[in-house]
Amino acid sequence: MALLAFQHDKKLGVADNSARYDLPLHNSAGSGFLLLLVALMSFLAMMTMTGAFAMHGVTSMWSSGLENQATIEIPARMSDGELRDKNELSALRDKLNGFLADQSYIESYEVMSREAVADLVSPWLGDDVNTAELPLPVLISVKLEDSSADILYRIRQNIRKYADDIRLDTHESWLSDILRLAGSLQFSAVIVTLIIGATTVIAIAGAVRSRMAEFRGDIELLHLMGASSTYISSQFQRHSVILSFKGSIIGIITGALALGLFSILSPSGAESLVPALHLGLFEWIILLLIPVAACLIAHITAKITVLRTLSELPL
Amino acid sequence: MIKFEHVGLRYGVGPEVLSDVNFSLEPGSFHFLNGPSGAGKTSLMSLMYLGRKSTRGRVTMFGQSINDMPQEGLAKLRQKIGVVFQEFRLLPHLSAFDNVALPLRIIGTPEREIMSNVNELLEWVGLGDYKQSLPLTLSGGQQQRIAVARAVIARPKLLLADEPTGNLDDEMGFRLMNLFEQLNTMGTTIVIATHSQAIMEKFGHPRMMLGHGHLNIEDPKKNWLQRTMDGVF
Ligand SMILES: Nc1ncnc2c1ncn2[C@@H]1O[C@H](COP(=O)(O)OP(=O)(O)O)[C@@H](O)[C@H]1O
Ligand SMILES: [Mg+2]
Repeated sequence: MALLAFQHDKKLGVADNSARYDLPLHNSAGSGFLLLLVALMSFLAMMTMTGAFAMHGVTSMWSSGLENQATIEIPARMSDGELRDKNELSALRDKLNGFLADQSYIESYEVMSREAVADLVSPWLGDDVNTAELPLPVLISVKLEDSSADILYRIRQNIRKYADDIRLDTHESWLSDILRLAGSLQFSAVIVTLIIGATTVIAIAGAVRSRMAEFRGDIELLHLMGASSTYISSQFQRHSVILSFKGSIIGIITGALALGLFSILSPSGAESLVPALHLGLFEWIILLLIPVAACLIAHITAKITVLRTLSELPL
Repeated sequence: MIKFEHVGLRYGVGPEVLSDVNFSLEPGSFHFLNGPSGAGKTSLMSLMYLGRKSTRGRVTMFGQSINDMPQEGLAKLRQKIGVVFQEFRLLPHLSAFDNVALPLRIIGTPEREIMSNVNELLEWVGLGDYKQSLPLTLSGGQQQRIAVARAVIARPKLLLADEPTGNLDDEMGFRLMNLFEQLNTMGTTIVIATHSQAIMEKFGHPRMMLGHGHLNIEDPKKNWLQRTMDGVF
């Protein structure tokens, strides 16, 4: 008797009532397919979301780095094509210097040395060009307290008084293009994630339906014995949730390996315009929530599918 | 307990298998359901175990009209009904033990209690050595005994058995009949469809005679005069 009880528990795998199946869902064909599909979907969701996080990192790095930053340029060549005299150039530089020092809305500014400007242009010219003789513009990088249109207008009005080809460049035009591009990429990532979720829902619903068709007679019998819809659906829920959990764990482990490989192969360091693929704690938590989301999708989808199918029974 | 008023049943567009069936069974009663093959015994059973809706008429079970009852209400009623299906309908992937335990699990009986009750009943029907066997590895008679054990394990208020002794030798047949008698004395209402003249005569319960879509109840215990009076009034 005790021996039999032990065998019984062993056969079910678990002695607990809540963990047993009346239907042989665990060894039915198609489970492997669903597992693989959920693994794939979790992997894709992870890649898409990582891409979105990286994009977010890029845009915040660029926009925070460039926000309130502006550059004042005194061109080396005047609008009529004549080269500006060296002395005139330094006179203008000194006037601007004096003007900027008096403005309260300017947090800081720095007149770039001739060498620094030469360094900036040297990549375009090559190392063998003698920059000492080159006509170089004067660049002043300015950090503003805030870059409202009003203040920018005031600066432009003032610097034009010294020479009307002195320019204020706020990086805004090209930055906003890039931010718009990044924004639409992030939007695409959200759409793709939703499509991945919808695909998972459809796949699980289909799997549950085919499983229910397979065991239709058995389900009808449970129904006739007075099993509630909840009793029957809980078996399918448990089955789908366990499968989805396994699948998504496989998916995100594969995803983590892929990301690891990617970050080893991708260029890193300060020169890169793209920050190294570095995920913070928050991002990792979001990615680790993928299995939770997969289980939730599996649970709800299985439940709704079973209840709908059961409500189609004649009585 | 059970009341049928002008109940009719047809399958799809076929002819009416049951037409204008009227009867009422008292709680604690014991009836045989008899009639030629194809008369509609199994169909009538399916109406009583709430496996099918009648196509017309009113069915009342446990004092409640089931015609417009919601799903949860039907499930609760079904839990009070034990059924031995003519073709057993055991779950092929569950052991004899788990098949018999099923009704108890559905109503949420603690596993410890299930263990002792199911084991006891399986011993009693002579299947103590086959608890872990799958139904398909057992003989027709053994499967039938599992089906009977499953029907009675949860002490149903109503037991419906469709030819439950068909595959059994007389001795096992009588043994199961005694089990039903015992349940009946504890208050279970019982309807048994059977062809066996021997069983009907030995136990002498009233007979529901089904034929041509109609049903008449005959009680051999009432004498000729009483039956004549029943017919007159
Ligand atoms: N599921 C079904 N679909 C269609 N016809 C059925 C079905 N079940 C039974 N029948 C028909 O109903 C009639 C009564 O069958 P049944 O209730 O099984 O009789 P019995 O149990 O008395 O032999 C038969 O003519 C049978 O062909
Ligand atoms: Mg029949």
